Amino acid sequence: MLAQLIVSGLAVGACYALLALAMVIIYKTSEVLNFAQGEMAMLSTFVAFTLLDAYHVPFHWAALLTFLFAILLGIFFEVVFLRQAKDPTVLGLIIITLGFEMILMGFAGWKWGPDQRSFPFPVSNIETYNFHGLVISKINFWTIVVSLALMFVLFLFFRYTKLGTAMRATQQNPIAARVMGIRTKRILSFTWALSSLIGAVAGMLIAALGILDPPMMMDPLLKGFAAGVLGGMTSLPGTAIGGAILGIIENLFGGYVSLAFKSVVAFAIIVLMLCIKPSGLLARHYVKKV
Amino acid sequence: MVKKSLFLMSGLLFITLLWMVPLVSAQAVRGVTDTEILIGQWGPQTGPAAPWGAVARGTDLLVRIINEEGGIHGRKIKYFLRDDSYQPAKTKAIAKEFVEQIGVFAVVGGVGVACGMTARDYLMENKVPWYGPVTGVYNWITPIQKYLFALYPLYDDEAFNLTGYLYEKLGYKKIAMFYQNDDYGKQGVMGVERYLLKKKIKLVEKVSAEVTDRDLSTHALKLKNSGAEAVIMWTMPTHAALILAETAKIGYKPQWATSNTLSDSALMMQITKGLWAGMINSFFGELPDSNHPLMVKYREWHKKLAPQERWGVFYYAGIIFAEPFFEGVRRAGRNLTPETWVKAMETLKNWQGIGPPVTYGPPNTPMDRQGGKHVFYGKVRADGSVERLTDWIQITK
Repeated sequence: MLAQLIVSGLAVGACYALLALAMVIIYKTSEVLNFAQGEMAMLSTFVAFTLLDAYHVPFHWAALLTFLFAILLGIFFEVVFLRQAKDPTVLGLIIITLGFEMILMGFAGWKWGPDQRSFPFPVSNIETYNFHGLVISKINFWTIVVSLALMFVLFLFFRYTKLGTAMRATQQNPIAARVMGIRTKRILSFTWALSSLIGAVAGMLIAALGILDPPMMMDPLLKGFAAGVLGGMTSLPGTAIGGAILGIIENLFGGYVSLAFKSVVAFAIIVLMLCIKPSGLLARHYVKKV
Repeated sequence: MVKKSLFLMSGLLFITLLWMVPLVSAQAVRGVTDTEILIGQWGPQTGPAAPWGAVARGTDLLVRIINEEGGIHGRKIKYFLRDDSYQPAKTKAIAKEFVEQIGVFAVVGGVGVACGMTARDYLMENKVPWYGPVTGVYNWITPIQKYLFALYPLYDDEAFNLTGYLYEKLGYKKIAMFYQNDDYGKQGVMGVERYLLKKKIKLVEKVSAEVTDRDLSTHALKLKNSGAEAVIMWTMPTHAALILAETAKIGYKPQWATSNTLSDSALMMQITKGLWAGMINSFFGELPDSNHPLMVKYREWHKKLAPQERWGVFYYAGIIFAEPFFEGVRRAGRNLTPETWVKAMETLKNWQGIGPPVTYGPPNTPMDRQGGKHVFYGKVRADGSVERLTDWIQITK
């Protein structure tokens, strides 16, 4: 049972990690916590569902079109909502993301209705791989693979590309970045687009693992946030580690201590980390000099 | 001078009284005018329990049918539906809106134990008739309330009898329970344990889920490790779908059984990708394709008035929860007040629409306010249709 709990924990942790990753990208660039992340992912997943279910678009095309939609959604939110904020403070921007979350939730409820749906996905969520008695469903296995691959690509992107460096520079010192010729507004739009894209991947995987309905991202988003805090809100590898640890701890706690308090563990971890090591496991703590 | 003043004052008083009379008479019965009867219902149109929100929309269909047929005693029904998102705080606010702003005659239906409990005492204090809360818990009949009539079969009795069906008819001796960690789920557990205690055995495992949980892999493992041959679930549709997927992933395939709260087989088959097949379900209303004359009539009206809605159990349950209420309104006659309606409801004896037989009486014992006491069992086929296993069974004595 122990090994099975760990494997299941890793799989669910991969989803948390993906959402944490999407949040961390925004946070690294603008220090804004995007509370609309979950609903942006949900909306993109509903677009994929419509393409697959109503228009019978082949999955790979539906996925590509959904990713395009997610990119445009991210840019739209940044340009139409956030950029228009007058004398924006971080708190003000966070409130805007909360407002956007409500708008998206209401829109999804109006457009697709409250009924739950099963999300058509090419990988079965019932068929399993069996590694010497350790059972992992195909969808869980591929969720882990996709998450790790995405994180690796993003790590390379931030480390070795000009655009990635520009994004880091914008986060660390926007004025200096502008002086150095970086178009910080474009960087911000790109950041939101990238974050929305990763959210869409997470949303499609989470819907395939469970069911698709407007509130589907509420719980995963909170857990993703907890994973981000645990690993470090400015560290990409930290999100992977944070997600995995959180998924495993949750499962072990549920399996051996109490199922009733399984969901609470994530929040206990947030409180604990903020008290002991606010920067998270892998992030460095930046102290701004005044 | 004094005479003149007295005369003037008497005149003013008379005019005031004359002016007051129609106002008082118009206000005499809240929510009832010469041409209309105002009723309200809350239900989750958004949020995790949203599939149950179809109930409130089903009631809307019945209201429209009644209005199309000319209303009741010359009055049309005006229906107010509000979304509480399954959040008790919102329900309380909606109940206040119904009474203080809209001024409804009665509340019909209303999904959710916790939601309903925030409104129960308020509605009763204001003498607002409330018919058919959409949950089968004791909270509606204890303490007994003059203006509150329950319809839904009690979860406790339903679970008791369902366990008996699994144990005695189908021979399952190792039974586990998967339930929602609130009053709804716990009253299901109560019935299952009550039955097993009678047989001097215990549940082999009892696994609960919180409303917001989305990862049920640990829950599935616990159920599998229990070795249960049959698992009774008392949850909302989301958790039912998730637990079936998780148990399927780890190759655990017990006989599942569940309450009528999950009896919308078409929906459940769709969201479980077919894993719902084989489920033993209790039902408290006719099956969707039933040839019962009322079902045929309602399906026809549904096509005309609400073709956008899916004809599923959750949807037409909204009709089941409202039919006896309107029968009471009919029997109360033109002089409709909360008192005459209550008297009329107490005359219902084995009255049946498309739901269970309904009986009420003067409020002497809690069971006098518990209308629905019957269910029947069915098994879901691979194509999503239901094989009816029994006739109506009385589960509450």
